[in-house]
Amino acid sequence: MTNLFAILGLPETLLLNLAEIEEAWRTATKKGHPDQESGTTNSVSADLNRARSVLSSPAERLAHWLELKVSDHEPNHSLSPNLMDLFATINTALQKADSVISRNQNSTTALAKALLTKESVDAQLGIQQKMAHIHQFKESIVDIFPQIEEAASSGNFESANRNLSQLKFLTKWEQQCQARLLSLLEC
Amino acid sequence: MNEDLIIGIDLGTTNSLVGVVDSGFPLILADEDGERLTPSVVTYLKDGSAVTGREAVRLRKLEPERTISSVKRFIGRPFDQISTDQIAASDYKIQPASIGIEIPLSETQTTSPIEVSAEILRRLKTVAETALGHKVSRAVVTVPAYFSNSQREATKSAAESAGLTVERVLNEPTAAALAYGLDKLDEQQTVAVYDLGGGTFDLSILQMKEGLFEVVSTAGDTQLGGDDLDLVIAKEIQRRLKLDELTTSESSRIRVAACEAKESLSSSDTHLIRLPFFRGNESFETEISQSEIEAIMLPVIERTRSICRRAFAEAQNKGVDSIDHLILVGGSTRIPLVRRSLEEWFEIIPNLSQHPDEAVALGAAIQAGILCGRVREVLLVDVTPLSLGIETFGGLMNVIIPRNSTIPAKAGEMFTNAVANQEIIAIRVLQGEREMARDNWLLGEIEIPFQPGPKGNVRVGVQFEIDHNGILEVLSRNTATDEDHILKIESSAVDVDDSSVERMVSESIDHAFDDMNERIWTEARMKSEELLPAVESALELVGSKLPEDELAEIHEAAALVKGILTSDLKDVPALKQANDTLDEATQTLAALLVEAAFK
Repeated sequence: MTNLFAILGLPETLLLNLAEIEEAWRTATKKGHPDQESGTTNSVSADLNRARSVLSSPAERLAHWLELKVSDHEPNHSLSPNLMDLFATINTALQKADSVISRNQNSTTALAKALLTKESVDAQLGIQQKMAHIHQFKESIVDIFPQIEEAASSGNFESANRNLSQLKFLTKWEQQCQARLLSLLEC
Repeated sequence: MNEDLIIGIDLGTTNSLVGVVDSGFPLILADEDGERLTPSVVTYLKDGSAVTGREAVRLRKLEPERTISSVKRFIGRPFDQISTDQIAASDYKIQPASIGIEIPLSETQTTSPIEVSAEILRRLKTVAETALGHKVSRAVVTVPAYFSNSQREATKSAAESAGLTVERVLNEPTAAALAYGLDKLDEQQTVAVYDLGGGTFDLSILQMKEGLFEVVSTAGDTQLGGDDLDLVIAKEIQRRLKLDELTTSESSRIRVAACEAKESLSSSDTHLIRLPFFRGNESFETEISQSEIEAIMLPVIERTRSICRRAFAEAQNKGVDSIDHLILVGGSTRIPLVRRSLEEWFEIIPNLSQHPDEAVALGAAIQAGILCGRVREVLLVDVTPLSLGIETFGGLMNVIIPRNSTIPAKAGEMFTNAVANQEIIAIRVLQGEREMARDNWLLGEIEIPFQPGPKGNVRVGVQFEIDHNGILEVLSRNTATDEDHILKIESSAVDVDDSSVERMVSESIDHAFDDMNERIWTEARMKSEELLPAVESALELVGSKLPEDELAEIHEAAALVKGILTSDLKDVPALKQANDTLDEATQTLAALLVEAAFK
């Protein structure tokens, strides 16, 4: 398993901020980019890009960190009750968006598309609202990263596992919402 | 030293340029007449030889069907993805080939988009060699940022057949950003490059800091540009001339007149379109004003808006909240309407510091300079414009490398055998943003070989890698032996054996005409069937806000569509025209609806 923290010369901790990761990536990229005379290979450059992308996402960072700590960890797929509630409302918003998007895609004339504008604007607002909720939940988990790391240092990975599962769900929903929002923007 | 020199080429839809870096500065090379722009036009003479550039433009009047222009719109695309409108708008013929499309010139002579592009590149190579006084063999070639894998590969192979080693396939807006930022290396800026050229549109957002140019997000449309504006203006001219059917040379003349009107009205208020001896002894004249032409162009320009919003939204997801400058490049950004629209939409005064025709070529020269060590302290990092994925169960697309990932990018997938002693597994590789696999570009199929073994026990890792050119390479790794193999991506058109390809091609040519008619009728009918109920609902919602005469016009146009639709004649041109008239008559209605929605 490649240690993505090490690739960027960063300490193996959850408590990283985006600015630090960016700075580490910039330094490594400027030094090692294949276009430079001192450069290395495409593959090294691709690894740097992957490390930045993984570490910048709280969910992927936690997953990678956990993989490095516990080689054979059992993934946990449970969902907390308030996330279950959130999921139900997200689903409604997504379905509303899908319906507008598919009708828009099947329209070829300006008039038919114009007829859908009102619904599209409403659907966008709905999705944006859900994304704000998702963001809040994610932030609240990132806020307890210090406690997760603390518990892990005494061998307890229960909280890490449980929160990873929550983060994975949240990230997936976030991506779904983003995709719908982009499609709606094109409506 | 000379052998190491790399030239930078902007291979444009309308014009192409070549440049180099000299003493640390990028410059465009001029040809023997002192011209820097080479029109991307090739005429094939009857003896088979090709003439490129300004001379080909002069020959267009004599040889409209043997003069190939705007071929960039067709390069690297399969026939079935090209719309019937585009085929109809082209002066020369195009038809399906075993891979992609070909352009028939006569009974015995054909050419292809790759060959035509190779002619243009050959010409640029000569221009560079004459100007520099020595041979060149290496190049950076630019492409629209939104070009797919196939379009990039096709461009690369065109350059190779012109005798150039492609050191980098560079994205056009990124090149323009290099040209903009080369003298601002100590400043920290976020810029958006709006690149509206002859045939393609891109918007890229970049961060510049300490010599590192990093693309954050990009979006575009490879079938949107000045050519589309010419086309809508030409339609208007045809409407005013009251001519239904046009010959190839007539429609070519109208398109030239449309382009002239567009260019002239970028700096004056009115323009007189003159077509002397247009048909026999008949001449036509019509005056068009800037505001009239703007009303015609607006729907096309509007299409860039949602693309910009998409790129901005994606950049925002990556933490970029505001841009410092909106840089305009590409010939079509000379149009005042484009500049005004951008100001209005995004509340930012566009930055016009870059030469619309030359910035991309200068950027290509700079990147060439970086690669051969003539430019230091500058580094460019780009992204992949389209998501890469594979088809999974149920025909869904499973994304492996998401769009706007920094390149080079790699990602691995593990495959296991589904039955005992399975020999191969075939994977369809896709590019695009749609959920269903069939709605995306099919790059081709790869076959992963398996060692014999019990079900689920043989595992093969497959690595997808997108290089600096935005081009995909697929490697398979046998986990038992740790051996890597490069897997060839078989384009879907060559998946069948050669003889059946021959047959497929000849069959499709035989049937092409019938097919086309049927396809156009179906497209037109679907449009009518969508418009008619839409008109009714729209009238119900906001019809009361329309003046009497517009209402009458709409009712009349709708009745005409209904009439043609229900007659047995299947009159395709009449239905298309009736649709267009109804579409046009309902423009105010559509605008009213949109306005009402945002209230």
